[in-house]
Amino acid sequence: MMTAQMFFIAFFGLAAVWFGIVVFRTFSMVRSALALLFSQTALGAMFLSMQAEFLGVLQIMMMATEMSIMAIFMVMFMMDPGGLGEMEMTHQKRLSLVTGFVSFVAAVMIAVFVDWGPMANTFPDAAQQTVDLGLELLGRSMLIFEMAGITILTAMIAATAVAIQPAKKVSQ
Amino acid sequence: MGPELVIALIAGAALFGVGIYGALSQTNLVMIMMGVELVLAGAMVNMLAFWRYLHPDNPAGQMFVLIIMTVMAIEMSVGFGVAIARFRAKGSVEMEEAAELKG
Amino acid sequence: MTTLLVLLLLIAGAYFVAVLEAWISNGRFRLAAPLYATIALLGRESIVPRKPDRIFFEVGPVLLLLSALLAATVIPLTPDLIITELATGALFINAALVYVLVALLMAGWGPDGAYAMIGGWRFLGQLIAYAMLIVMPITAVAMRAESLLSTQIVVSQLGLWNIIYQPLGFVLFFVASMALAFLPPFDMMIAKGELAGGVEAEYTGARLAVFRLGRLVLIITLASATAIFYLGGWQGPWLPPWAWSAIKILVVTATMLLAGRYMPRIREAHLLSWCWMLGIPLALINILIVGILVLEFP
Repeated sequence: MMTAQMFFIAFFGLAAVWFGIVVFRTFSMVRSALALLFSQTALGAMFLSMQAEFLGVLQIMMMATEMSIMAIFMVMFMMDPGGLGEMEMTHQKRLSLVTGFVSFVAAVMIAVFVDWGPMANTFPDAAQQTVDLGLELLGRSMLIFEMAGITILTAMIAATAVAIQPAKKVSQ
Repeated sequence: MGPELVIALIAGAALFGVGIYGALSQTNLVMIMMGVELVLAGAMVNMLAFWRYLHPDNPAGQMFVLIIMTVMAIEMSVGFGVAIARFRAKGSVEMEEAAELKG
Repeated sequence: MTTLLVLLLLIAGAYFVAVLEAWISNGRFRLAAPLYATIALLGRESIVPRKPDRIFFEVGPVLLLLSALLAATVIPLTPDLIITELATGALFINAALVYVLVALLMAGWGPDGAYAMIGGWRFLGQLIAYAMLIVMPITAVAMRAESLLSTQIVVSQLGLWNIIYQPLGFVLFFVASMALAFLPPFDMMIAKGELAGGVEAEYTGARLAVFRLGRLVLIITLASATAIFYLGGWQGPWLPPWAWSAIKILVVTATMLLAGRYMPRIREAHLLSWCWMLGIPLALINILIVGILVLEFP
């Protein structure tokens, strides 16, 4: 039986995977970064079709900024950002193909053969979900949430400290 | 056992596989980070599918997705910091040329 | 039905913005000018640059229009005139508007022209500056409403509009939304006279028409968002709700267009330092003040 939800999950899942593959197939760096963006956006749409509205919208919002920043870093750091020279940028191709495929097959086997138990049929509506998530974040899981915040702060400071231009030494 | 959960898990597995391939095969630091983002995205799909189809009454599942998003952001910021420092010192972020730590 | 009506209203609003913008910038009030300009643009030859990134080149203008339209779907013009009532409406507006950046990056990178590309990357720098100042004031607004529903946000301002309740947030949101719509003091990415049109430089004909329409719809969408977040949306005495919505949106639009005329362009590096050193602390203070007010004087 094919329900609308199943169709949309499969469709957006397929779109996400396809754009994920495009990331490593194209030569143009900007295309590569934006393909990753569309992969993540398809994922956000998949969240929306799984009725997790808050997370879906959040995913769609956050990834747009993240991947655009990725695009400018690609352009900054690559010799050939437009992809006109069709430069080879891969190594250990066979090993990575095999590893990727094996991990995919292993994960699929687990997904298919494990008995996941009874499926839940009821779920809270979108507004209730947001309330629940907020209460969870500031209640039972507050420590984890605070840790995440502190970690972001540390990462920001560390990244800035690493990336900042070293002060010029006074020449003798 | 409904097929929706399995479809979502297979999509997550495929994203994971593609991400692993990308992270292992690319020579550029930024491209490797893209692979890692895809791996994390696969994990995110799985967490959300488990929340929705197995434990929808427990918001901790959604919270884990939020934490994974945080991890993605942290990975980006630290990765780009390292990339900038490396580019400034060596003039490229090609990982083929980064073998100083190889024993 | 509602969808069609809202779309028509948006188009009418965009037309009005075009007339108003021409009136403010060159001092001539001509009602038919945008119509003639549209016909001229549609009739003109559509030139494609020599080596474009074809997908980005075509998608860019359409995505700009689409993201502005999507953001407009959760904006209530009257209690009933809203396309979809999302439980995360306030967040959704933001999510849709981030794609303005993606559209401009595509339009900048696509045609393979130097001016266009500089314009696109400039907008990325500008986004890093204004993005937080869009999100944080909305957070404070949602805190007062205790909901992300856009209708609930309007209802929460009964009696005391948010512009009086949190004036700091209003100022920050207003400035940030001007930067988002790349209106004059922040129009480094289309900088006429310096970048030769920037992102628009390589577009001609129908594509340029779509791009300009997208920009006008974006301005009207942001003005409506300001109206529902800070000016009480459809609320007001004597007049019916739709009239109040229309008046508020038009006043906000006119203010946005006028304010930029008397300021020099702000370079995105200066905007970055102003936003991060002054804007974000102010936004945090705003959240703190609103939190205290919400908890202590409910």
